[in-house]
Amino acid sequence: MREAPNTPASRLAYAIGAPLCLLAAFELLARSGVAGLTVPTVESIVRIYLKPRFAALLWRSAVATGGSAAVGMFAGVFIGTATAFTAHLLPPLRPGLDRLAVTVSAIPALALGPIFVLLVSRETVPELLAAIPVAFLIYVAVSSGLRTAPISLGQMMTTFGAGRLQRLFYLEVPSALPSFLGGLKVSCTAAMIGAIVGEWFGAPTGLGIVILNTMQNFEIPLMWAAVLLTAAISLGGYGLAHLAERAVARRFA
Amino acid sequence: MAAIEIKQVGKSYALNRRQSLVALDGIDLCVRDGEFIALIGPSGCGKSTLLHLVAALEPVTSGSILIDGEPPVALRERHKLGIAFQEHALLPWLSVEGNLALPYRIAGLAIDNVRIKNLIALVGLEGFESARPRQLSGGMRQRAAIARSLCLEPSLLLLDEPFGALDAVTRRRLNVEMQRIWMERRVTTLLVTHSVDEALFLADRVVVMTGRPGRIAEIIDVPFARPRGAEVLRSEAFHRMMDYLTGLLEP
Repeated sequence: MREAPNTPASRLAYAIGAPLCLLAAFELLARSGVAGLTVPTVESIVRIYLKPRFAALLWRSAVATGGSAAVGMFAGVFIGTATAFTAHLLPPLRPGLDRLAVTVSAIPALALGPIFVLLVSRETVPELLAAIPVAFLIYVAVSSGLRTAPISLGQMMTTFGAGRLQRLFYLEVPSALPSFLGGLKVSCTAAMIGAIVGEWFGAPTGLGIVILNTMQNFEIPLMWAAVLLTAAISLGGYGLAHLAERAVARRFA
Repeated sequence: MAAIEIKQVGKSYALNRRQSLVALDGIDLCVRDGEFIALIGPSGCGKSTLLHLVAALEPVTSGSILIDGEPPVALRERHKLGIAFQEHALLPWLSVEGNLALPYRIAGLAIDNVRIKNLIALVGLEGFESARPRQLSGGMRQRAAIARSLCLEPSLLLLDEPFGALDAVTRRRLNVEMQRIWMERRVTTLLVTHSVDEALFLADRVVVMTGRPGRIAEIIDVPFARPRGAEVLRSEAFHRMMDYLTGLLEP
């Protein structure tokens, strides 16, 4: 079999060609009428984005959802990293923290929502539901990353008289960077899902609310516009994390 | 410089609840200040383990090791231990210069850029100061590792088969360089090697070990005057000693 070509030009062709093919397939599906009214034409979705009233609504909602996802992301990264460092520096705590992390992440977000509504407020549920999966993913990524440093490098540090924290700072943290950024990449999508689901518990605005309301009111083009915007924000975060990962991989892997 | 006193050292590892593996048994060795000692022996005879014990990377099971009358950890904590492994053990994300600066950072000392420059020149890596380990050949990485081991003017140098992974020609050239480097400041050195001629070429005394459990079979004085050149390698006495030592290594 021939290998797929991998030149800048071919990569650009893929980047533009693949979405175009998808759009064409979408358009074909809409025009054929197989899916009934639930799949609108691409043109009708584009018209939504161009209408000032809808554009303002979508922008407001995207800022709210993106903001919740970002806050959840920061909180999750902080909690996950701090927990991973604790487990790494205090080995007796590791098994317990591992199990706690798995348990928390095993509870479905939909089950936690009502509890958080009672515990805190409806406005903070999206942020909390975004933070939980991120904290878990980052915990797993960082705690395994901190252990990837080769033993020989650790022995080298020790013989030069390095203490525990120096080994962590000069050796284990740099070794964990690629793994951390890998975790960050998958976290972007998880944070977005958490924020959208969190909004369903009564947040005042957000893309999750728009998606839910438009579905119930049968405003199909607007619903699709909100869904595609959600996907775009997710992919944007993923792309940024991917770029950071590539830059770091070149140096640290 | 440091003198090492190894007294009745034994090391065993627990395999399971009832069995244990005796890696080293009754090792007695006194290394004088400024002496170059080579440890040779078959694979698995515990020579690297002995080096790890001297570096205090593992505790002894029985007996004692004293460096200048102190336990090995003391020397390490004063950052006076230099070490080079078979794998270069350079940090892949740092340049050659960065790797040589690492011992200073660990010791909390000001980075001595002049000394780093001189060491890079000493091991023949001028022009590669900002190269990363992956951009260097195997021999160059080992040279960088040896330069790093010398950064803090160690009083004890531990070399764990630093040339083991290299081809014969590079290895011979690095042996000659190693002798030159060592003669500049005769630091007490323990070299673990598989190669009999490397041991004879570099060491003042060669310690021959036998395997399972690791014991010292014989200690041989190497009589050749320094600096030793190619003519030593070709001399009859060198070959006679090589044959003798190789004979000792055979089971």
